[in-house]
Amino acid sequence: MATKNKTLRRNLIALSLIAPFTLTFLLVFAWPTYKVIQLSFTDAPLIGAGEWVGLDNYRDLLGDRLFWIALKNNGYFLLLTIIPTTAIALAIALAVNRLKGWVQALILAVFFLPYILPVSVVTLIWAWMLDFQFGILQPVIEFFVGERVAVFRDPYWVMPMIAVVTIWWTNGFNVLLFLAGLRNIPQELYEAAALDGATPRQKFLRVTWPLLWPVTALVLTLQLILQLKLFDQVYLLSQGGPFNTSQVLLLLVYREAFQQNDGGYASAVALVLFVIIMVVSILQFQLLRIRGKR
Amino acid sequence: MTTGVSLKNVRKSFGSVDVIHDVSIDIPKGDFAVFVGPSGCGKSTLLRMIAGLEDTSGGRIEIDGKDVTEEEPADRGVAMVFQNYALYPHLTVFDNMAFSLRLAGAKKDVIREKVAEAARILQLTDHLAKRPANLSGGQRQRVAIGRAIVRQPSVFLFDEPLSNLDAELRVQMRLELARLHRELGATMIYVTHDQVEAMTLANDIFVLRDGWVQQAGTPLTLYDDPDNRFVGGFIGSPAMNFFEAEVTGGGDGVMQARTRIGQHTFTARHTGAAPEGRTVTLGIRPEHIALAEDGLRAKVDMVEQLGGVSYLHVKLEDGSNVVVERHGLREALEGHTVGLTAEPDDILVFDPEGRRLR
Repeated sequence: MATKNKTLRRNLIALSLIAPFTLTFLLVFAWPTYKVIQLSFTDAPLIGAGEWVGLDNYRDLLGDRLFWIALKNNGYFLLLTIIPTTAIALAIALAVNRLKGWVQALILAVFFLPYILPVSVVTLIWAWMLDFQFGILQPVIEFFVGERVAVFRDPYWVMPMIAVVTIWWTNGFNVLLFLAGLRNIPQELYEAAALDGATPRQKFLRVTWPLLWPVTALVLTLQLILQLKLFDQVYLLSQGGPFNTSQVLLLLVYREAFQQNDGGYASAVALVLFVIIMVVSILQFQLLRIRGKR
Repeated sequence: MTTGVSLKNVRKSFGSVDVIHDVSIDIPKGDFAVFVGPSGCGKSTLLRMIAGLEDTSGGRIEIDGKDVTEEEPADRGVAMVFQNYALYPHLTVFDNMAFSLRLAGAKKDVIREKVAEAARILQLTDHLAKRPANLSGGQRQRVAIGRAIVRQPSVFLFDEPLSNLDAELRVQMRLELARLHRELGATMIYVTHDQVEAMTLANDIFVLRDGWVQQAGTPLTLYDDPDNRFVGGFIGSPAMNFFEAEVTGGGDGVMQARTRIGQHTFTARHTGAAPEGRTVTLGIRPEHIALAEDGLRAKVDMVEQLGGVSYLHVKLEDGSNVVVERHGLREALEGHTVGLTAEPDDILVFDPEGRRLR
């Protein structure tokens, strides 16, 4: 009898401990997800119920030119951001790691500062710096291409410049992750490598890089997820233009839902993006892990 | 006898703090030398300076007669075994051992041959495909040694290599290191804070303290004939007992000194001048103290009974502790009052600064 009471009490305590998370999860994640899935099979407006239309939304999607443009732009943006931001963060972390004491803390703070800024401030700063008439970066552009460019209104410049802004904004966090990874590598390994006759380059390629691989895999995967969810910077800097050259999936969701009042179709697009992010990130993380284990 | 490693007036300072003061030592080729001392005495720093992992603030380091003070670690012909093994965790045992050979651009079959040979010496042949994470502590340490062996260095450096192993394994590895030294015949320099390791492994021991070499010599020289109180107290376990005393007389190669506590007069071998009234410290090892009716009065506080050997912890009048070693003791002595005596030849005399008076 006593043991039964004890077991019951233990189970109640366990339940009470996981209840807050479970309830929150069900309320703000599972339920909305279920509703989005349900909505994507209807012709519902943004607010209110709609008629069941089966797979019509998905059929429309496949024939929607804008959907394919947005998907392609998302892919282009991944190319522009993921590898460069990882490489830059690693380079900065390696450099910061060589500094000591308060100088290191100061430099790290400088690199981390943009990360704590709200996206609206970030885009404002860059909109000013790249302003066609007064932007202090225009002379630099002029130096390289011979003329001033209204970058966020130029089909060729818009995505690369949004990528630059994004990298500048989010890089500090990656630097931090790499720095933590570097600090986890024991100094003795470098001393052993020095005695083994390794040059600085060999130390990096044969010790640092392989031991940093788990962190690199993490950074790449986090970046992949983050950059697929691109929305704010595009909305604030170019609104998807010019000529849809910076149109991306989340912007499409926003337009369909809040401007076209087409909740059903927006849900279908959102769900496709959700599936893409899930599949690609799981796939990438597994691939990277396998490479690391080899 | 050629010199393997020679340090000439070597100094090291970090900022304004001197950690190594003017060390000059010669280690013969093929010697097993041990640097021993309490933590912070500079022994590891000295070893790292020989390896080239620390810069030298002054003086010269020579290996096999060649000045290497400014050489890179890899060009000194030394290999080092670290306390935490410093194995590359992402590489297999084979690749760990092959690392330096690959960097040096050795041919594949040469690498395979050398690694196989090292693995055979260290009984690692069955573990070559494993990662360090899947090895026991003793196996990891052997891989670290194997990594040193394949380079065929003229000097092996060991930085407290056994301190992460459990007691039983430490004894076993100690024997293996001694065997390895015999087999390879290379110069080995070994750093430890454990005087048992120093006594059992070394041909020559260098006792360090606060960046100074206190005494150098064979293990038994240091044990029987220490130059100062520090070496006397550091070498030997349980440690030497010390008694504050005042000289009361002398002549004919001996002197008499009366202990401050207990007022017992010991007679010690001493040929120099010994002015009456001078304060000295008498050092007597636990195994040299005999129990007698007369002698320094003490009360047995506790007995550590190991069967063959027993350690009596006895207390003097003022409560200070003295250790006495007995063989084959079977009586229950706790609580008894005993008298402590020693032969003149077994009593070492030190001056108040700790210098040995002979």
